[in-house]
This record gives sequence, structure tokens and C-alpha cells, in this order.
Amino acid sequence: MQKITDSPIDFAEHIIEDVKNSKEEGVLKCVQCGMCTSTCPAAQHSDYNPRDIIERVLDGDISILEDDSIWNCFYCYTCHSVCPVGNSVCEVNQILKQFAIENEMGYDKLYEYMGFADSYFTAAIGAIPEIFFKDIKRDVPGWWEFRLHLDEIRDELDLDPPLMPSKEVIDEVSKILTITGFKDKIEKIRATQG
Amino acid sequence: MKDDLKVGVFLCECGGNISDTIDLEKVKESLDVEFIGQFVNLCSLNGRKLIRDAIFDHGLDRIVIAACSPISHEKTFQDYIKPLNPYLMDMANIREQCSWVHSDKDRATHKAITLINASIEKIKQSDAVDPIYCQTPKEVAVIGGGIAGMNAALSLAKQGTKVTLIEQSPSIGGQMAKIGKVFSPVKIAEECGMCLLNPILNELVWNENIEVLTNTKVIEAERRGGTYNLILEKSPRYVDVEKCIGCGKCAEVCEIEVPDDWNDNLSMRKAIYRPFGQSYPEAYVIDMDNCSKCGDCFRQCNMKAIRLKSKSERIPLQVGSIIVATGHQLFDMDKRPEYGYNRYDDVITQSELGRITGVNGPTKGKLLKANGEVPKRVVMIQCVGSRDEKPDGHRYCSKICCTVALKNANIIKHKYPDTDVLICYTDIRTPGMFEKYYKHTQENEVRFLRGRPGEVVKKGDNFIVRTEDTIKGEFVEIEADMVVLSTAMEPSQGTKEIAEILNVGTTEDGFIKESHPKIKPVATDVQGIFVCGTAHDPKDITDSIMQGIAAASKVSEYNYGGVEIEPFIAEIDREKCILCGECVKRCNYKSMNIQDDEVYINPMSCNGCGKCLIGCNQRAITINGNIDEKITSTIKGVLSKKREGQRMILVFLDNIGYTAADNIGVNRLSYPDSIHIIKVISVNRVRPRHIQYALENGADGLFIGEFPGDLMYGEVERKIQNVKDRIAELGENPERITFSKVYIPYYSGLARKFIEFDKKIAELDEAK
Ligand code: SF4
Ligand code: SF4
Ligand code: SF4
Ligand code: SF4
Repeated sequence: MQKITDSPIDFAEHIIEDVKNSKEEGVLKCVQCGMCTSTCPAAQHSDYNPRDIIERVLDGDISILEDDSIWNCFYCYTCHSVCPVGNSVCEVNQILKQFAIENEMGYDKLYEYMGFADSYFTAAIGAIPEIFFKDIKRDVPGWWEFRLHLDEIRDELDLDPPLMPSKEVIDEVSKILTITGFKDKIEKIRATQG
Repeated sequence: MKDDLKVGVFLCECGGNISDTIDLEKVKESLDVEFIGQFVNLCSLNGRKLIRDAIFDHGLDRIVIAACSPISHEKTFQDYIKPLNPYLMDMANIREQCSWVHSDKDRATHKAITLINASIEKIKQSDAVDPIYCQTPKEVAVIGGGIAGMNAALSLAKQGTKVTLIEQSPSIGGQMAKIGKVFSPVKIAEECGMCLLNPILNELVWNENIEVLTNTKVIEAERRGGTYNLILEKSPRYVDVEKCIGCGKCAEVCEIEVPDDWNDNLSMRKAIYRPFGQSYPEAYVIDMDNCSKCGDCFRQCNMKAIRLKSKSERIPLQVGSIIVATGHQLFDMDKRPEYGYNRYDDVITQSELGRITGVNGPTKGKLLKANGEVPKRVVMIQCVGSRDEKPDGHRYCSKICCTVALKNANIIKHKYPDTDVLICYTDIRTPGMFEKYYKHTQENEVRFLRGRPGEVVKKGDNFIVRTEDTIKGEFVEIEADMVVLSTAMEPSQGTKEIAEILNVGTTEDGFIKESHPKIKPVATDVQGIFVCGTAHDPKDITDSIMQGIAAASKVSEYNYGGVEIEPFIAEIDREKCILCGECVKRCNYKSMNIQDDEVYINPMSCNGCGKCLIGCNQRAITINGNIDEKITSTIKGVLSKKREGQRMILVFLDNIGYTAADNIGVNRLSYPDSIHIIKVISVNRVRPRHIQYALENGADGLFIGEFPGDLMYGEVERKIQNVKDRIAELGENPERITFSKVYIPYYSGLARKFIEFDKKIAELDEAK
């Protein structure tokens, strides 16, 4: 039951105020048309539903932060470009995930991305974490072969070997990541996963 | 002399609307005038008596009514102060712009005092002036020969008025002729549109008060003293309408075939053709863009009706009023490639479906796909280009697409009960009686899915429509072999052109704007020009007809009574004028011209903006009514009541902006009490010296609002920039002046702007 003192719209207002939200009042103008869902690749391949996200936000349903499905959005921005009232589920999702993390939720989802963080520290670049290789190998035909033979292809094209950051650069990047608190965050996430 | 004028102030309680918030006793104490009266509702007949008696008993020369907005009751009180001249009265708006927007009693009371004082100072500068009456010629031009224009013309003609009906295509009839079937909300049945249109068409053709000009466009318009001088261009038809008997032998021999636009390009026609079976005039026409001038038709025609060498002609037309009925066009599907309209033959629009199911259409009424088969499932997609804020989309609802989809779905179901029809919608909008038809459609086994499809893709022989069933909350893919798009209605090219030629205001969507969105339907911003049908906004046939008739009746009123014009317009001193024509060049409203060695000013179109003054080196032009002095006095009146430490912002608005500001009050929103609104005839009349005077005498900020549709907008914007630069040179902060767009509908935006500006000024004051 919605009590007389509840004010569901506060949750939406909170999201609207976030700097990541570029579409001003877009959330409030959602007419639940479902066009976002109709074109969302994540919705086609999982039970994630962008329209439902907005509906729950408008309902003030904060339990959405604990919902696994928000992590299925991968920011392709399709919904952002099709929404007829100028809303962006994509941005709302980014804000929701950020709220979830602030409230110490969804660390297990982030854990899968730890490989990215590690590669910043060890090589000062963003590389695809190995845990994703299996899936990409399955989903993208030819990708694995391409990766295995990258050196030969570069040779054939007369390209120099890829330029990797030097030790000084890596040290500097690590230092920045440490001072800005990135490292602490990573460790915190790692700790939650035992 | 003006200082010993006897001013009477009348305070209206407005049944508590004013007196509950404003302490009228305090107001009375603080005013120094000859007489102060108070009444519970001044606009009543008892109020009139109070005012008249006071005028006689106290010998009052000037009157201030402190009550509601002049927009609602200026005319009433101008009448109530008789025998005084109507322009010796001013209204202080202490309701819409005071008691309804401020809740703090002390502040609201002080502001009321300020506003009334401003009116007192202003009215002392007023002179008696006479309103101008204009009688206009009774002839009328109706532009657009669709159902709205036809009905307007017919109604006027039956009242004895001469009408010229101007249609740019080769036949009158408009979109309704194409529509196939129509239905009314009461009759749960679809009827033949042409059968309903034909009697109207015949009646019109036989009415001797109507002259129909087809293939004709208005290319120039000029106003002079209530008369419109139009120049029409009549393109040649290449067939003599008097001689052609419509036998069609010419078309039989013509070898050139082109897509038939009347059939939405779904079939072919010849270069010599008749637009449709019942088209009027009943003559063939040659489409010269495609004709090869072989002369076959010429040789074939027994009536010697063909004139391959005709030229276009220019026709002058003088009328007193104009009805714009230039109609609509449909959304361009190139803008929504995701639905595949241009890639697939069987993705069509509702308009095309109307042609296909029409017995006079390309398939003689059979619903067939491009391969000749009857479709098994037709999926309709609603709101294509409507209710759509994406680039090129339209934010508004096109109003008729839901009912059109229902109608076409029913037609399919009657003829092909085995064809599944599914309508994908966001909301079904069938207001009033149309809801019954919606229910009937459901009973007819048409299916509905709530969800707005994002794309249509081809898969094998069929299409896949991707959408979400938003009721189930499930992503679904629907197979279809025909997709029908309900496209938005938008203003036609002709509507956009005529708006420019006639200088009438349009909405932000490009439709012709009514002068008041609620209480002045069919009137445009320009006196003597009226609008009806889909040139005004999306609507159905019935509404178009009603509006056509309403426009006709407004024209009759206008023809009968003439028009009263506010006298605050330019006047030329003929002794001084050297006919250099500078003023004529400058007038944005095209109200001036030189005629018989005299500058002639059209009182109907002059709006007293004063731009002509600047051009006249001879100083031969004045604007009636002491406007400059009135503005200065009003500013003085406001600022002389400034309290210690009080922030005062002056806002200058013309009629449109003032109406928007009133709407803030009507909707009970609020804004800071520093805001003091001053109504001016045109914001162009606010001069740099006014602004400087205000800043020097205690104004903390100045806000100048202008409607971007006003012809002076650009001018004023530039001027304000110059003033800012000048103010900066004088060591004042130019940030204290702001220029802003004002729209009547966006009153809440205006309130927000007031709040923001007040905040900014407060910051500047603090920094000081
Ligand atoms: S497309 Fe936009 S309006 Fe439609 S449901 Fe999604 S967020 Fe709401
Ligand atoms: S950004 Fe996320 S929600 Fe939007 S369409 Fe892409 S995956 Fe779906
Ligand atoms: S132009 Fe001549 S041939 Fe053609 S329809 Fe008219 S009368 Fe017949
Ligand atoms: S002259 Fe033109 S219209 Fe006539 S038959 Fe030839 S192509 Fe057709």
C-alpha cells in the first residue's frame, strides 16, 4: 500500500539531479511506450527491460538497486537515441549502478571487471580481461584466431610491434590510481568477494 | 496643467480575491488623490454606478481602476467611465499580477500601492483620443479548396457575400476527396467519403457568389486601410475549361505515364489527366513537367480544347478579409528509416491504405500486397512522427490517427475477416463519442497491443515488427506481411508559404496560430485574417467543417460591424514630410506606403512600435498618445514607492508577454515581489533613455520580454544589446538588463525566468 506520506517521485528527482543525467526532465516525461525495450539489445537477450526500469524509478522502488538485471545494460545508447520523449534509460542506468555501488551493492558484478583494473596497474592500458575470452571466442567467430596471429598480421602489414607504455609510465599511472583512491576501491571490492 | 488633474482611484475587492491578500485600508491611506472608492466587485452594474457618480460628484478628470487585468476588463471599465474619454482610464492589475502571485500580506499590499501609484502617474500623461473605426470591403478570399475552405466559402456565399475560392491544385476537394471511407462517432459504420463531399461540391459550384480559381496561388499580399490587395498567379491548365467535355480521348492517346500523386503514387496516370472522377472543374489538365509536347492530344480532341501554348497569368484581387484553409501534409517517411517504408513495398501509410481500400483507388478497393496476394496479418504502428521529440519529429498528438487506424482496420475486417489486424499503440485516443467506435472495433476482432515498435525488419517473405508488449512487460517480435504506419499530420507547404506572405503568426510547429488559444478561435494575430481546418492544427473532417463555418461567421461579424482600432498609431505631419520614404522602408508591419504624394498609414496594421520615428530626419512622425512620457511616468510612479533596501525589477511586456504574465497568476504560480510589470504597446517603445532613467532612479534590474514571433523581435534584441553596451560604458553593470523570449503558453517558464533574474540581481546587489 502506498501511504499518504510516501513520496515516490523523490527517487526520480534524485536521479534527475545527478550530473550524469543530461536529459533534464526526461525521466518524468516517460509515457511507458516501450520503444526503448523494443530496440534494446540487452532486452532481446535477457530478461532486462529498460521501460520497466523507468517505471520502477517513477514508482520510487529503490529495491531496483539490488536487482541483478540493471547490470545487463552495456551502455549502447540505443534507448537514449530512440526515446520519443527525450529520456535516456542508459543514463538512468549509469546513475542507478553508481547509487548501488555507493550503497555497497553489486560488488559481485564489478568483480568480473577486475581484470580491467589490473591491467591499468600492470601495463597502464585497458585490456580485455581474460575471463571474457571464452565468451568472445564463442560469440565472435574468427576473433580468437585473429588474436593468436596478431603478430604475423602486423608483420605482413609492415607494422611495428605494438607500442607498450614504459616502466616510468606504468609507475606514474599506478601512482595516480593509488592517490586518487582507485586502488582502495579495488581492494574493497576484492575483499567483499573473499 | 497636468499637475492639478483630479484623479479618482477605484479599488476592487474582487469578492475577496484581492482584499483577502491586500490590505485595502493601507492602500487607501498611502495614496494622495482626489477620490478613492472601494467596491466588492467593481465590474458589476453597481460598480458602474459608483464610478459614474464619483466622476460627477468630484469632477474627476482621470480614473485608475485597481482590479483585475486589463486583458479581461479594460473594455468594461472604458465603458463605465463614460462620459469621460475611454483613454483617460488606466487599470492597475492588482489581482493577476499581485494578489494571485504573492502570499505575504505586507509585501503584496506594498506592491499594490506601487502598481496603483504607477497607474496614477501614467494616467496623468494621457490625453483624450478617439478610437478609430474602419469599415472594410465585404469581398472575401478563401485560400484552400479543401473541406474547411469549401464550407467557409459556402456559408459566406449563402449570406450574400462574394467569395473567391483559391486552390493551388487543379481541383477543389482537398484531402477528403482522397480519403475513401469516413465514419462518424454516432454511426457505427463506414460511409463513402466522396458521396458526402459531392453535394457540398455541387452546391459550391452552382453558387453564383463563389468564384473558384484552381491552379492558382497567392503570391503577394499587401494591406491598406482594411483592404487586402492580393496578387494571384494562375498557372495554365493547357486545356480550355469551357470547351473540354471530359471525354478523356486525349488521355487515351497520350503516351506519357507518370505516378499518380492523387493515388499516393500507387498507380500511373497520363501527362494529360483528370485528378479524380468527380474533380472540379470537370476538365482535363496537362502536367507540363512531364508532357513531351508531341501534340497527340491536340490532334485527338474534337472540341479543340487543348492549348499547349498557354501562359500563366497574374490576377489582382481586392478583399476585406481572408480565410486561410491551406490544410496539412503528412510526415515524410524518409525521416524514420527504421520502419523500412522506402525499402519495402508492403510497408505503407494509412493514407495509402485509404487509397488501396478506396473503390476509386489503384486496386479498385481490393486489399492486396505488391505481389497481388491478400495480406495475412496487417500490423499498424501508431504515432509515427507524432508525440515524438526526436529531431524532425512532432511533439504534438496528430489527433486523428487513432480513429483513422480504427476505421481502416474495420474496413479490412469487413472485407477480409481472415486477415489478422493488430494495432500497436502507446495510448488510444478516442475522445467523446469516438470511444464507441473503439469498442466496435474490438468487437470486430481487431487486436491491440500496447507498445511502440522500434523497428521493422524483413525476414524471409515477411516482416518482423519489434516491440514490447508493455502490459505484459515482454519483448515481442511480431510477424507481419503488411505494415501500416499512422503518420503525423503537419502544416502543408502552402500553409507555411501563406503565413509568410500574409504575415500571420504561426505556432512553434508551423501551424497558423489563433490570436487567443482559448477564447478567440479562428481569429489570427492579424485583423481580418481567419483560419480554419488543418492549417490551424490537426483535426478531423467534422471539426474542419465546424471551424470553416465559424470562420465564415467571424468574417460576417467583421463585415457587418467594421473594426475599432486603438488610436496609438503613427501620424504624419504632412507639412514636414518630404516623402523620402525612409519610414515606409523601415516599417516591419508594412503599414506605410506612399500614395498620391502622401505617406499613408494603415491604422489596421500599424502597431505603434515607433520604428518609423527613427528613420524620419524631418521629425514629421509622431505616435498618438504620449507614449514616451507615459512610460517615463510609469517608471517614476513605481520607483517613487521604493522602500529602504527593497529590490525593484521593472519588467516591460507587450500585450502577448502581459498575457503570459497574467497566466502565471491565473494558474496560481508565484514569483518574487520585486517584479513589477509594465505594459507597453510594443517593447520597441522602451527607449535607452527610459532604461537609463530607471537605473538612475533606483531600479535594480530591467527585464524586457518579447514574443519571438513578433516582427520587431530581432530589432529589439539588437537594440537591447546596444543599450547594454552603452550602460557598460557609463559604468553600470549591463547584467542588470536582460532580454528574454516570452510565449503565452510558457507562462511557467516566464515565472522561472523572473525567479532566476531576481536571484541574479540579488547577487549583484550583494556584490556591490
Ligand atoms: S522509450 Fe522513453 S518514453 Fe518510452 S518507455 Fe522507454 S523511456 Fe519511457
Ligand atoms: S543503453 Fe542499455 S538499456 Fe539502453 S538500449 Fe543499450 S543496453 Fe538497452
Ligand atoms: S481535352 Fe478534349 S479530348 Fe480531352 S477530355 Fe477534354 S474534350 Fe475530351
Ligand atoms: S502533348 Fe503532352 S499531354 Fe498531349 S498527348 Fe502529348 S504528352 Fe500527352
